[in-house]
Amino acid sequence: MSNVRAHSQDDLRMLRGSVRTLFERAGGIARARNARDKGWDRQVMNELAHAGVLGVAAPEAVGGLGMGLTAAGVIVEEVGRALTPEPVVSAIALAIGMIQRVCPGDAMLATAISGKIACALAWQERGLRGYSDQMACRFDGKVLNGSKAWIAGAVGADQLLVVAQNDSKPVLVALDADGKGIYSELRRQSDGSQLCDIGFVDAPGKLLAEGSVVSEALSTVVADATALAAAELVGVSAKALELTLDYVKTREQFGKPIGSFQVIQHRAVDLYVAQQVAEAGVSEALARMDVSADQGARIREASRAKARACSTAKRITRESIQLHGAVGYTDEFDIGLFLNRALVLSAWLGDAAYHRARWMDALEANEAGR
Amino acid sequence: MTDWNALSDEAFRRQVRTFFETEYPEELRHLPHRAKFAEIRQWHEKLYAKGMVAPAWPVEYGGMGLEASKLLIFYEEQQRWGVTRGRDMGVQMVGPLIIKFGTQAQKHYWLPRILTCEHIWCQGYSEPGSGSDLASLRTSAVIDGDYFVINGQKIWTTMAHDATHIFMLVRTDSHARTKQEGISFLLAEMNQPGIEVRTITTLAGEDEFCEVFFDNARAPRENLVGELNKGWTMAKALLGFERIFIGAPNLAQNALVQLRTIAQGRCMFSDPVFRDRFAKVALDVEDHAALYSRFADQLKRGEMLGPDVSMLKIWVTETFQEITELMIESAGPDGGLIGPLQLGNVGVDVLANFYKARPTTIYGGTNEIQRNILSKAVLGLPG
Ligand SMILES: Cc1cc2nc3c(=O)[nH]c(=O)nc-3n(C[C@H](O)[C@H](O)[C@H](O)COP(=O)(O)OP(=O)(O)OC[C@H]3O[C@@H](n4cnc5c(N)ncnc54)[C@H](O)[C@@H]3O)c2cc1C
Repeated sequence: MSNVRAHSQDDLRMLRGSVRTLFERAGGIARARNARDKGWDRQVMNELAHAGVLGVAAPEAVGGLGMGLTAAGVIVEEVGRALTPEPVVSAIALAIGMIQRVCPGDAMLATAISGKIACALAWQERGLRGYSDQMACRFDGKVLNGSKAWIAGAVGADQLLVVAQNDSKPVLVALDADGKGIYSELRRQSDGSQLCDIGFVDAPGKLLAEGSVVSEALSTVVADATALAAAELVGVSAKALELTLDYVKTREQFGKPIGSFQVIQHRAVDLYVAQQVAEAGVSEALARMDVSADQGARIREASRAKARACSTAKRITRESIQLHGAVGYTDEFDIGLFLNRALVLSAWLGDAAYHRARWMDALEANEAGR
Repeated sequence: MTDWNALSDEAFRRQVRTFFETEYPEELRHLPHRAKFAEIRQWHEKLYAKGMVAPAWPVEYGGMGLEASKLLIFYEEQQRWGVTRGRDMGVQMVGPLIIKFGTQAQKHYWLPRILTCEHIWCQGYSEPGSGSDLASLRTSAVIDGDYFVINGQKIWTTMAHDATHIFMLVRTDSHARTKQEGISFLLAEMNQPGIEVRTITTLAGEDEFCEVFFDNARAPRENLVGELNKGWTMAKALLGFERIFIGAPNLAQNALVQLRTIAQGRCMFSDPVFRDRFAKVALDVEDHAALYSRFADQLKRGEMLGPDVSMLKIWVTETFQEITELMIESAGPDGGLIGPLQLGNVGVDVLANFYKARPTTIYGGTNEIQRNILSKAVLGLPG
């Protein structure tokens, strides 16, 4: 879109390098294990905010870096490589993306970009896709009633941003996460994170925006988050493949490295090619989304990215375990952590089959519209 | 004693089904983890009282002596009802080996104790440096008077922390010409000062396998099965048993039952794409069972299994994995969820199935190794 600043490959490389260093200093992959008990780390989130990461895709006019999804993609690939427990994609794309679009003048935007408050966007309801006037969550101007499902980044959030309905108008409502009338149900996922559903019973909230601006922004930010989740998966597979290649070069059986067996060599090459295809496809999708204002086209690109990233991550993380043999099936070895993260990221915002179907729908809609 | 084979297949199925449905504890159905013996002791006692602990063993040793078609029915019914496999390495692995190669005295002593679960077995083959290249194993056993003295380390020993005995491959001659020679098959008691067990946590978060350290551990000389230094040939024979066991339809059948429950719960059978994929894996399981029964018949006739048995394991483990991937897909946004997915009044633990399926292509000889075996020993390809 027009307010995306042009950036050079050098800028992106530097950005990647600095984020990678930040995650390494914070403790690297080992943090994925610690997070099972401790959750994500506020300190790391603050450092990311300080580096401008949370506002990377937000326009400069509202205090962001204005570097678009392309740069955000580079950052979240690093999030994926380091199995970072912080909810970076949900913060950048869903929470900040939403505020920036529906109420850029609200003070909340600056505090969210600076990391002072963490926000989570609650938009899904069971049985519904995206915004719908069937939504059960209702806001009467003062209090919210209903329930939301699969809320990313809800654990540890200060503010909940809830997409609801008021007199059949879509509204965005902000609530204090520890406020009255909020009942959350947490269920643990394979990577140790918590899947959160929340029920609201007369929960006091503040209206941030209403009308079609809310539903339109929602479909934009969900597409953004979908594409960025794809980029995170690309990072997960990249690192898993790297660890696996290292392993088959060093593990010896029958007196030689297992990587010297042709079966293993061909498998390694297939995984490498798959990974290259995914990296190219996902980054092209992000770049196209940056320059397109056509909602249908953006949704199509997001689905393309997620479908590819899910199927590639599935293949690479499964094969990685196989190529490690029994050590791959232990908690002690890092490779299993990548499988566990890939499971969660693939399930979030739709898996490969779901997005292939959506991609076809979007393609046909586009052709019909021509 | 019941003559199971005298029953018609249908009558046999009805009996087994009724037995499972009335006697198997509800809370143990489709258990997501490997059960410890204490959890299933009472169930084991019921099986024992019925003479149903060892479906494939000959009747003279206390087995059911089932012919192949009935063995398959037994497994199908077990999976349909989600009956756990129990602590069965004695029945499935070391028992058949003792029946085949043991002395009269060994059969007399060990077999009944396997059936009663007085002895609970674990399998000590793999070592840190010897996985696929099992014959390179280094754990040694040296004769000292009436005993073997054992030193070294085993790893990935499933449920060693819940076992009373270990059957193991040890090096008894370190100067043999080839690495396959000089290996012996030895039985040892776990509860002794020279053995230390440490559990290893799996990526599913379960303490399912272990490291076992031997520091001057001892085993009486009569615990040697077969000839000294000839353990490798026997172990290969046991791998035949192990592979037909791992190559059995059980796990895939059970996963298919659960996939169906999810699909019904989520009304997925109206989706033509899903129908096709379900039918594909269901047929993969069904045709595999047909192939399996050929091998099971062979075993029943008392023949040793050849290297071709590896094909069962390749097919069924990869099908099992495919089924669990479909389960994850069916779970949608809940696909990363630990614990049961609630579908009305039933729960299906999707990830438990997925995790269970992952190592099936690794243990019992990886699928790559099985393919090597088939290409060389069955297809006769050069190299
Ligand atoms: C859940 C689980 C339970 C187990 N339980 C037991 C048990 O109870 N007792 C026991 O003794 N062991 C047990 N094992 C160990 C199992 O038998 C070994 O994991 C297996 O033999 C593979 O050895 P490895 O893990 O060392 O892998 P490696 O041999 O190091 O293999 C790593 C990778 O290299 C490949 N590879 C190796 N050699 C070749 C080749 N020549 N050509 C092509 N590819 C090759 C393998 O296929 C694999 O993909 C268990 C393993 C698991 C995962």
